[in-house]
Parts: sequence; structure tokens; C-alpha cells
Amino acid sequence: MNSDRFLLPAPVEALLWKLGRLLFHGVGLAWQLFMVAPLIIVVVVSFTSASYLMFPPPGYSLDWYREVLSLSWIRSAVTSSLIIATCATLIAVVIGVLASRVLAKRPFRGRGLVEYLVLSPLFLPGVVIGFAIFNVLVMIQVDRVAMPQMIIAHVMITLPFVIRSVWASMAGADISLEEAAQSLGATPAQTFWHVVLKSARPGILAGAILAFTFSFNDVTISIFLTSSRVTTLPVQLVSHIEYNPDPSPAAISTLMIAITLALFVFLARIGGLNAFLER
Amino acid sequence: MTGKRDIPWLLASPGILLVTLVALLPAAILIVKAFQDVDTGALTLENFQAIFDSKIFGQAFWRTLRIAFFVTLVSVIGGYPLALLIARANPRYSLVIFVIVLFPLMVSVVVRTFGWVVILGPAGIVNEALMGIGLISEPLTMTQNEFGIVVGETHLLMPYMVLALLSVLRKLEPQLEEAALSLGANPLVAFFRVILPMTVPGLLSGVLLVFSLAITAFATPLVMGGARTPLLSTLVYRYALTSYDWASAAAVAFVLAVIAVAFVAVQKTVAWMWMSRHEF
Repeated sequence: MNSDRFLLPAPVEALLWKLGRLLFHGVGLAWQLFMVAPLIIVVVVSFTSASYLMFPPPGYSLDWYREVLSLSWIRSAVTSSLIIATCATLIAVVIGVLASRVLAKRPFRGRGLVEYLVLSPLFLPGVVIGFAIFNVLVMIQVDRVAMPQMIIAHVMITLPFVIRSVWASMAGADISLEEAAQSLGATPAQTFWHVVLKSARPGILAGAILAFTFSFNDVTISIFLTSSRVTTLPVQLVSHIEYNPDPSPAAISTLMIAITLALFVFLARIGGLNAFLER
Repeated sequence: MTGKRDIPWLLASPGILLVTLVALLPAAILIVKAFQDVDTGALTLENFQAIFDSKIFGQAFWRTLRIAFFVTLVSVIGGYPLALLIARANPRYSLVIFVIVLFPLMVSVVVRTFGWVVILGPAGIVNEALMGIGLISEPLTMTQNEFGIVVGETHLLMPYMVLALLSVLRKLEPQLEEAALSLGANPLVAFFRVILPMTVPGLLSGVLLVFSLAITAFATPLVMGGARTPLLSTLVYRYALTSYDWASAAAVAFVLAVIAVAFVAVQKTVAWMWMSRHEF
């Protein structure tokens, strides 16, 4: 790209090239702005002093943070969301590591089937699975959905993310380490615990972060399982936004963005962004 | 009696069991329900007859396809320059753009959609700006309609398009377009004759992925579309939990699932065909 100037000596053409490159970078910048705009706006609006949604805010205050931290429905929704996401992540990691081990090791009959089965939640529309679970719960007459059902459903939706991440890191691991451990007399269990799990740790950690994030953020499945006893923060936010056009969601959203950013930075540190690159 | 060859199945069984019991079996039961008479349980097509006759389903069906089309189109228009920049900019700037594109993927879809509600709403920044310079006198309606859904879903899905394009762009040597340029091609020709054809596989998989995700997106159309702009996904929800018409909800869910699974099948087939024809 640097060789263009002497290839096209005519000043007019050189100018056109410069304009073209400027235009390209300008277009790129505009789309970057498109990607960050909603996040930035939410953060700015959360510090408003007005009682309605307006941009730019007429004045700045921390009123809405005080407001959301004192609201009991937010507190209980945050608590149950945290419990659900934490439990679902822990269970999904255990189940996912076992399944990934199977998928990453040598081929066996029916491996393709196992792969399709455990990843199948990715291929079905969330709203279909959500309604399907709801339908079954009604059928077996679980009339008031509580925490366990919610957690099990969240394990199911986060499992594919754990598996893809752990699988990738196990597939890239050096198999000779494992063989060395075994030839030195380690039992399969010891080998698995000390060698396989250790080398797959970044993948497991990345998978856990993704699982926690996607479980905490889920709307589609949770909205069908919400009851008077258990609900999640995103589901509560959806109904709040629908009926009250005030800036309190902005304050909650800003807190969520901050936590997500911390998780994202941690994910990037352990090299987990590759999980996005190889789908 | 577990021999050595059964160990893989044993280790994978918790995952398989979970997915089967919590996703596949309920989905199968739902399919049966879609073909059952509400009262007698006899097999029938009348649930589908009912939704195909209803005006709201027809509108939601075409609206879903229309919105998915525009979301895919805009994702290509925006995703291409972003992917090109990430692939060709200097490492530091490239990382910045990569983070800007990827980070929103982890942010709650409710938060992202809410951001667009604030931007596009009646007292949002766009309306304030347009009224400020006197271009309009009444606020434009950009939320609670299809426009808002397209914007929200494009923001939701553009990262997937960028990732799909990047997966092929990363394999292209910058020397390729340098060679084209040094042979006298102008940048536009170099782009359309050299780069674009080589990114077709990425473009195709990105288009199929974004289109299928746009069809099944739920939270964004729920928040952005309101009750007046139902898509197939939000229609399932409204039938199920607002009007308690579970037979219709099951029928719509079946239609949605068929479209989604068909898309995954097409996507896999295209990828497989490409792989077997061009060995990367």
C-alpha cells in the first residue's frame, strides 16, 4: 500500500488515492462509532439528574445509582441472577470438561453424533427451547418454577460455550505430556487431573467466563421460566423498560457494562478471545 | 459392562443426557403439540391452518424475513470495512477496532438495545439533533417499529459478520493486493478483482449466520418492537404468555425451528462443499 505514490505520479491521482484512503478510514471510524455508541450513551445517561430519558442530560447526578441500589426488586433480581449464573457455570464446566475430553481425544465411533448432540442448543432458536421447557414444566405440573429448574436450563444453554472453548484448548495440547505421565506410572485419573486439566486451564477459565456471562445475560430462556418466586435481572429490565421510560435501567446497565468490561479484560489476558475467532 | 470403547460415551453422557432431557425432548414434545388438537389430542393440521389464516402471523412472517434481510445487508456494508481495517491496520489500531467490535458481544443484549432506545427515542439524541438544526419539527418514530429492530439487531449481529470475514481475510497475504497494485490495478479494481473474490467463503458463511441469527433474535425485537411489531420469535412469546394460545404458539415455534434448522443445514453444507473443493 505504501508503494502507490511512485506508481501513480500524477498529483491528481495521488490526491484521489489519499481521498480514497481517508474515505475508507472515515467509513471504518463511523462503524466503530456505531458499535460503541449505545454503550457510551447508556453510561452518560445514567448520570443524569432528569427523571426521564433525555440526551444530552440537562444536569448530572448520582441519583439514579442511589435509586437502583435501594430498589428491592433489583436487589433480589441481581441476587438470583448471580446465584443462577454461578451454579450454572460450575455445573456446565464439570459436564463440559468431560464432554470436551471425549471430543478432543482420539476419534471413536459416533463422535460426530456426540458433537451434534452437545452443541445442538446452539442450532435451535432460544425462544423455541424456552417455550418447549415451559410446556414440559406445565405438562408435569410444576406450576411454580423455582431456582433449580432455572439453573438446569442455564446449564443447558451455557454448555456449548464451555465445550467449544475447552475443546479448542484440549485439542491444541501436547499429547506427549500425557503419554509421558502414563509411562511414568500415573493412573488415568492422575494423568487427567495433573496433566490434562492443567494444560487446558486457560480454555476452562475462558469457557467459564463466557458461560457466566451468557447465563447472566440470558433473556430468551429465562423469560419463560420466570415466576413470582424467581426472576433474573435482564428479564426484570426488559419489563421495566417496556413500562417505565425512566433512567434507572441506564444505571443498572452501566454497572453491568463495568462488570462485563472487567470480565472481558480478564478473558483477553488469558487469551480467551480466540474462542471468538474459531467458531 | 463397560469396555474400553464405551468410555467416551460414559464421559459424554452427562452432557448428552442434559441436552436431550432439557432441550431435545421438550422440543420434540412441542412439535407433537403443534400437530395436536387442543381438546382431543388427535393429530391434526388445524393449528397451522389457524395461524396461516391469521393476519398477524402472515405479517410477522414477512416482517421477520424482511428485517433479517436488511440486518444482513447492513452487517455486510458495515462489517466489511471493519474486518478489512482489522486485517490491514497497524497492530495497535487493529487491536482497538477488534476490541470495539468484540466487546459488545459480551454485553447484555438488553443493555445494548436499551442504548438504542435512548439514542433513537422521541427525546433521543438523533431527534434532538435533527430538530435542533430544524430539519424536522416533530420527533421521528424510530423505536417501536421495524427501523428500530433493524438498527438494534444489526448492532447485535455485526460482530459475527466481522468475525466470519476475518477468518478468511487473515489468511490472505497483503502481498496479494500489493502485487495487483504494482501491476497497475487501481485500488478499486484490486479490491473487486482480488480481495472480494477470495473472501466469498467468509462472506457467505457470515451472511448465512447473521441471517439465521436475525430470524431467531428475541430480546431485541421484544424491547425495540413493542407489541405492535411482532416477529415470529416474539409472536411465540405473546401467544404463549399473553394470550395463552399454546396451540398457536407451538405451531409458530415449529415454523421458526424449521427455518432455523434449515439454515444451519445450508450453512454446514456450503461450508463442507467449499472445504472439499478448495483445501485451505
